[in-house]
Amino acid sequence: MDKQQHVQAIVVGAGAGGGVAAKVLATAGMQTVLFERGGWPVYDAHINDELISQRMQVLDSAFGPDWKKHPRVYVGPDGSRTTIHAGDGSYNHVAACVGSGTVSYGAMAWRFMQEDFRLKSIYGEVEGSTLDDWPISYDDLEPYYEQAEWEVGVAGNDSLNPFAPPRRRPHPMPAFEYNRDGRYLADVCQRMGLHPFPIPMLRNSVPYNGRAACIRNRTCCGYACPVDAKNGTQNTVIPVAMATGRCEVRTGCVVAELLTDDAGRVAGVRYFDPEGRAQTQTADVVVVAGSATETARLLLNSRSRLHPNGLGNNHDCVGRNLQGHAYTGASGLFDWDILDLTGPGATMAICDYNHHNPGIVGGGLLANEFYMLPYAFSQSRPWGEARWGKAHKDYQRQNYYRLGRLLGPIQEMPMWDARVTVDPAVKDHWGIPVVALSGSRHPRDFEHCRFLSARAEEILRQAGAVRTWRHTGDTPPASFYGPSGGQHQAGTCRMGNRPETSVTDAWCRVHEVENLFIADGSVLVTNGGFNPVLTIMALAYRTAEYIAKHFR
Amino acid sequence: MLNRRQFIQRSAVCSSLFLVGCRRMPQQSPYRIFSPEEAGCLIALCEQIIPADDAPGATEAGVIYYIDATVARYFPDTKDRYHNGIASLQAHCQAAHGQSFEALSPTLRTEVVERMETGSLPPEHWETISPQAFLTMVIRHTMQGFYGPPRHGGNRNYASYRMLKLDFPLVVGQNRYSHG
Repeated sequence: MDKQQHVQAIVVGAGAGGGVAAKVLATAGMQTVLFERGGWPVYDAHINDELISQRMQVLDSAFGPDWKKHPRVYVGPDGSRTTIHAGDGSYNHVAACVGSGTVSYGAMAWRFMQEDFRLKSIYGEVEGSTLDDWPISYDDLEPYYEQAEWEVGVAGNDSLNPFAPPRRRPHPMPAFEYNRDGRYLADVCQRMGLHPFPIPMLRNSVPYNGRAACIRNRTCCGYACPVDAKNGTQNTVIPVAMATGRCEVRTGCVVAELLTDDAGRVAGVRYFDPEGRAQTQTADVVVVAGSATETARLLLNSRSRLHPNGLGNNHDCVGRNLQGHAYTGASGLFDWDILDLTGPGATMAICDYNHHNPGIVGGGLLANEFYMLPYAFSQSRPWGEARWGKAHKDYQRQNYYRLGRLLGPIQEMPMWDARVTVDPAVKDHWGIPVVALSGSRHPRDFEHCRFLSARAEEILRQAGAVRTWRHTGDTPPASFYGPSGGQHQAGTCRMGNRPETSVTDAWCRVHEVENLFIADGSVLVTNGGFNPVLTIMALAYRTAEYIAKHFR
Repeated sequence: MLNRRQFIQRSAVCSSLFLVGCRRMPQQSPYRIFSPEEAGCLIALCEQIIPADDAPGATEAGVIYYIDATVARYFPDTKDRYHNGIASLQAHCQAAHGQSFEALSPTLRTEVVERMETGSLPPEHWETISPQAFLTMVIRHTMQGFYGPPRHGGNRNYASYRMLKLDFPLVVGQNRYSHG
């Protein structure tokens, strides 16, 4: 096994959190190695191909991982174990490349609301759920939200959203204009006494940071940007980190295990280089940012005398409370062309149903949806519509520009048994035990989905849709077996003040290991009724700043 | 030096060696996994799923080439589901109507597919794959081949994009398409 020269910091995973952490550490003067199992995203590899896009992944995953090399196991409600690949819905896929999901995301840039950090205090215990408060408040995170907005780049304008949390500084770029359905639905919402506003986006509405403004492609969410106007970590903070000369991005490297010393501190990582050779890299401090599923797997696979159940897992908390977002809302068919295909589709949102709705814990935003390309649209039908034949073709032809959708991510109730474990038998290409996913969603989630989808349907009816239907997840085809997760996966190494119920402290440091930190969605106590990426970035800024202060 | 005749003879010997152990192919097939007979049946089934009208149907859009290429390249494990499903469909049509599926009248073909969907065909020919499972798979792949991008073999000449009045293909660096 080869040993690399010692560095001050290792960051595992070059996604939203890991990219930010590497930038903060390198600019603070620390020699840093940023590990990524995928490679740099290459536009030619997936140009506009719906069938390999992040939205569909029918044939392949354009942004990784390799289906054959990275299997997982899905554990059914009956205990049956199925080996699955990244194209399966139950895989809970996250892109494996530099930038990860931030290369191809829709790029909504939400701040969580103040209430989102205090769910248990506001709503009380929810039976059967591990719902809890965060150990930090919105105010603790506010400066780091601002840093993420300015350094990565967000276009937005909160002034029309009365529910927006307080901010010290406006967004760095003006908000995007509405597209046709956004403008129309915003008018309808306003008439109904709701509060529509333009969605904040990690996308350039004007030239910013040396890159061009968005050209409004219909192939945006699920695709890389052909003019690089979408802001991910791969084209913002990671290049900044590299420019310091102190951050080496090691792509194609799979980290297998965190190594510990006799004192129980983390000493470095064991990994496989692109040629498949085992290597070790030592460091003073390690930051894990591999996504809620892969971070938990890495900790669980790192067993030693002092940590027999995996690192940070002496209280059996690692991998639990896996959360994601049920996307809920409604669709409506109009008798006129409500879509103009001015990308990416989502432009208008309301936060009227985030918090303070009787009987609802949390709630969620509603936004007009990202466009569906023709294959996705062929799979989108109200229940009972023809699946094939002339009727299916006619529907496709008549309605492609006439389907208005309002959807949003529902605040999920965390479940102790919705979890990531490592499979005792199934190994990946490198012989490392793989992620096994088990558990289910909380029944309250279905109630909340019914609430939010009913509100969405009401708006579409008011807008004059001739036919509407809801997406509640509990009508056929039911896809609600198994734990939540998906691309918004979170919660598996939650922050908290008590080691008995959490994995990291309020600085995202693993309770039992003084120099091990986590900087991805794993640390989120609850996942908000919002897309979580800006919160993951803000937390990574805060965590890495703390590391730079104490370990430099 | 080989002359042309010798070259062809020796190539024929070589390719027949490669064919040992393969499925029996009475004639050279232009497909990677289907025999011409299987393809004939599948083409007719795909055309039921997306029939031609004033816009092209599955046949003209080359859906069969999408299925053939992607099953061979990405999903070799599903090859047998296709072989078995097609064999079952043909066995049913021969037993019930004395003809292969593609030889039935259009009305009868539609009726057979409707009965595949509702599961009301006699079960005896469907021991290895159920008619619903087979049909669901073919529907899914037909939609992908017809509505997906042309680079995988289907959606020839942007047939579905034209039908949906979508411009195509994207000019890199601009929100502009070269046709539309």
